[in-house]
Amino acid sequence: MPPAGAMPTGEPPLPVGDDVEMIEGRSPWYLAYIRLRRNKVALAFGALFIVIVLFCLAAPLWSHLVAHTGPNQNHLTEKIDIGGKETFVVAPNGIPIGPGLHAKFLLGADDNGRDVMVRLMYGGRTSIYIGVMAAFITTFFAVAIGLIAGYYRGWTDSVLSRVLDVIWAFPVLLLGIALGTALSVGGLKIGPLEIAGNSLWIPIIIIGFVYVPYMARPIRGEVLALREKEFVEAAIAQGKGPIRVMFSELLPNLISTIIVFFTLNIANNMLLEAALSFLGAGVRPPNSSWGTMIEEGSDRIVTAPHLTLVPVLMIVLTVLALNVFGDGLRDALNPKAKIRMEH
Amino acid sequence: MRNLRKIAALAMATALAAVGLAACGDSGGGGGGKEGGEVAGTVTSFPDYLDPQLSYTLEGWEGINNVYIPLLTYQHGNGEESTKVVPGLAESMPDISPDGLTYTFTLRKGMKYSDGTPIKASDFPYAIQRLFKLDSGGAPFYEAIAGATDYADGKADSISGIQADDQTGKIVVQLEHSSGTFLNEVALMFAAPVPQSTPLDKDQTSTPPPASGTFMISNSDPPNSYTLEKNPQFKTVQDAGASDLPEAHVDKVTVTQNKNQSAQAQAIEQNQSDFMVDPPPADLLPDIQNTYSDRFRFQESINTYYFWLNNTKPPFDNVQVRQAVNYAIDPAALNRIFGGRLHPSQAILPPGMPGYEESNLYPGPDLEKAKALIAQAHPSDMDITVWTDDEPDRKRIGAYYQDVLNSLGFQTTLKIIGGDVYFTTIGNLSTPDLDTGFADWFQDYPHPNDFFGILLAGESIHPTNNQNFSQTDIPDLNKQISDLDTKQLTDPGVEDGYAALDKSFMEQAVWAPYGNEKFTTFTSDRVAFDDVLFSLVFNLDYSSFQLTD
Repeated sequence: MPPAGAMPTGEPPLPVGDDVEMIEGRSPWYLAYIRLRRNKVALAFGALFIVIVLFCLAAPLWSHLVAHTGPNQNHLTEKIDIGGKETFVVAPNGIPIGPGLHAKFLLGADDNGRDVMVRLMYGGRTSIYIGVMAAFITTFFAVAIGLIAGYYRGWTDSVLSRVLDVIWAFPVLLLGIALGTALSVGGLKIGPLEIAGNSLWIPIIIIGFVYVPYMARPIRGEVLALREKEFVEAAIAQGKGPIRVMFSELLPNLISTIIVFFTLNIANNMLLEAALSFLGAGVRPPNSSWGTMIEEGSDRIVTAPHLTLVPVLMIVLTVLALNVFGDGLRDALNPKAKIRMEH
Repeated sequence: MRNLRKIAALAMATALAAVGLAACGDSGGGGGGKEGGEVAGTVTSFPDYLDPQLSYTLEGWEGINNVYIPLLTYQHGNGEESTKVVPGLAESMPDISPDGLTYTFTLRKGMKYSDGTPIKASDFPYAIQRLFKLDSGGAPFYEAIAGATDYADGKADSISGIQADDQTGKIVVQLEHSSGTFLNEVALMFAAPVPQSTPLDKDQTSTPPPASGTFMISNSDPPNSYTLEKNPQFKTVQDAGASDLPEAHVDKVTVTQNKNQSAQAQAIEQNQSDFMVDPPPADLLPDIQNTYSDRFRFQESINTYYFWLNNTKPPFDNVQVRQAVNYAIDPAALNRIFGGRLHPSQAILPPGMPGYEESNLYPGPDLEKAKALIAQAHPSDMDITVWTDDEPDRKRIGAYYQDVLNSLGFQTTLKIIGGDVYFTTIGNLSTPDLDTGFADWFQDYPHPNDFFGILLAGESIHPTNNQNFSQTDIPDLNKQISDLDTKQLTDPGVEDGYAALDKSFMEQAVWAPYGNEKFTTFTSDRVAFDDVLFSLVFNLDYSSFQLTD
């Protein structure tokens, strides 16, 4: 018989004594956030990336308020005051001034007498813009192909996988150079879509395209595994169509993978942009990007090494920041995952 | 000279790596050095051909101008001296008929090629026939010879306009129309006689024909290296009275291809190599100038760098707009892009070319005046495409030019295309957006018609392979070009006529010229630097190389 006053619920009575706190439910995102917060190194590099982005976004401000020159403005015969002495921006023998404590030409000038600091900031905008936009393109196509191939399997998978294999078979750089060289002259024309040869969208599309297999294949593998899970079978049994299963069941489970890939992909895209621009198949002059700046500076490696070293340093810092932060993100979102952009 | 453009570009990319070996010999010679020994140098790009009828690059002509001697040749010397046409294998300058249509040469007697074969008068028409059979780039220079086009078209077995008598050594050349440039054309490598055992229609770069000059090609290993050695039969040429042809001082010259520009220059600095065909890279140039001033110097070269302006469509169909560009361009600024190797000039003809006069029609840079002219002209189209090629200095020149045009209010698109297809692209009139862009021209021979006739005459506008990029067609000036071409350069008033022509074209601002590129001589300590000759036609003169004591 129950003691007097007890509720006749049929459940065992709660212990009497100290209050017990309810255990708060934590979403996987919150857990990931906590894990990421503990990874100070990843956070530091994430912050570094944000600083670099802000630095590049400030290009117009620096250009108008401090340097008073644009990224493509030549100052071949001008002089500036350095320590009370009038000095040519580019000496008559072609050697440009180096870095120094002067607002204009803080990081020196290039062969055309253009302000390296201004070009570095504008070039960073170009490089990061290309990296991010190309990552969007890669991610969109990789997720679409991965989902379709992994969900439908069979001949659909075979066809899509073989197409990816063909693209994969080409070395990324060679494929990028071939496409870049071909498209840089005549531009790209697909139906009503027309892109000029000197448009930034040419390297964006090329870079976005060549990395699709490197992201699509692991996503396809993950979809193949998820496809066998009970919750997917249950959704199908409930009558959900393929599109709904892909979007409501599979995609949410791929989000953490996609985010990590996206971050790492930006870094790879920036490296490929630099390589293509260095080889003349990326960003078209006079537009600056860190890759074009390295290419332009390489002819002056002895007399003006800053022309090469400064953009190289920026690429190293940005790619390092993205890679370390991306790794931290991966560890936080899915500690068991082995996500890598391998090629 | 189309192919020579590439050389100018390669001028910024140089490398040397070869070994010079000292050898002994009798002292003497012109410059106080010693006779004999070997020198070795490098070139960035192996010559296009080592066959005299085919070679059409500075690398090629520099290598073989002491190997194959035409009937007439260019005097050995520095600067303007080297542009003088003098007898080569011919006894003297030719007799020219009063109507200017018949040229009579006489071959020197008793001369032999390096393999001992006698040099015969009929070797000259054979060489001209080879030009056409090989479809050489130099063939158009000789189309004025009567019957040449029939031979080229396969309608005749020989060129009717050339009669050669091996017994007397007489060579009579009949032209279809008088030409003021024919003597220069006879002095080109293309017209150098070769033995008739040389295959008529096969490139002989790997097995070059026997030589008539002071050197013979003893080894040709394209694209790696070639070697010149003293021609044992050259004495027969000198004994025949060829006093304008000097004998080489060194026994052997080896030229090796090396694509690494910095390594080449550093090899000379360290005396591991003796000379370089191309100038040192811009990056090393200032240090070389300062540190090795006793064995480095700039050399004049006959060329003009300019921006072409399409005279046939807006905005550059308006003379005021073209003049505005000339006012805005700053040759001193462009000189910095050339690393100080540009002689600033706003004339069509370069220094060293007969008819050259320093021009100051558009003093500046004067952006205000340029903007005022454009405001006056009020062109209907300000949206233009600026063309240049992808070689480093050309890209910089294009970027500078685009910035200048932007500052004048144009909306510009910079189009950069591959150097190997650049001139054929802008020389194709069906290419869209041909507004303005980079160009240069290196002389084929030191005659002003090599500039006006090819680059600015209305009749030189062709739908493809066009050289008249501005598409200039001014009837009065066309007539002046034709009239001057019928006269010899030595005729009274002809040089002044060309100078006036230059001024007339620049008053019309058909181009925006900005300067003339200088080349360099840079040698090792082993070479008697002061004695090295630099020809305005062939560049370095290998016959002048001499080792120091």
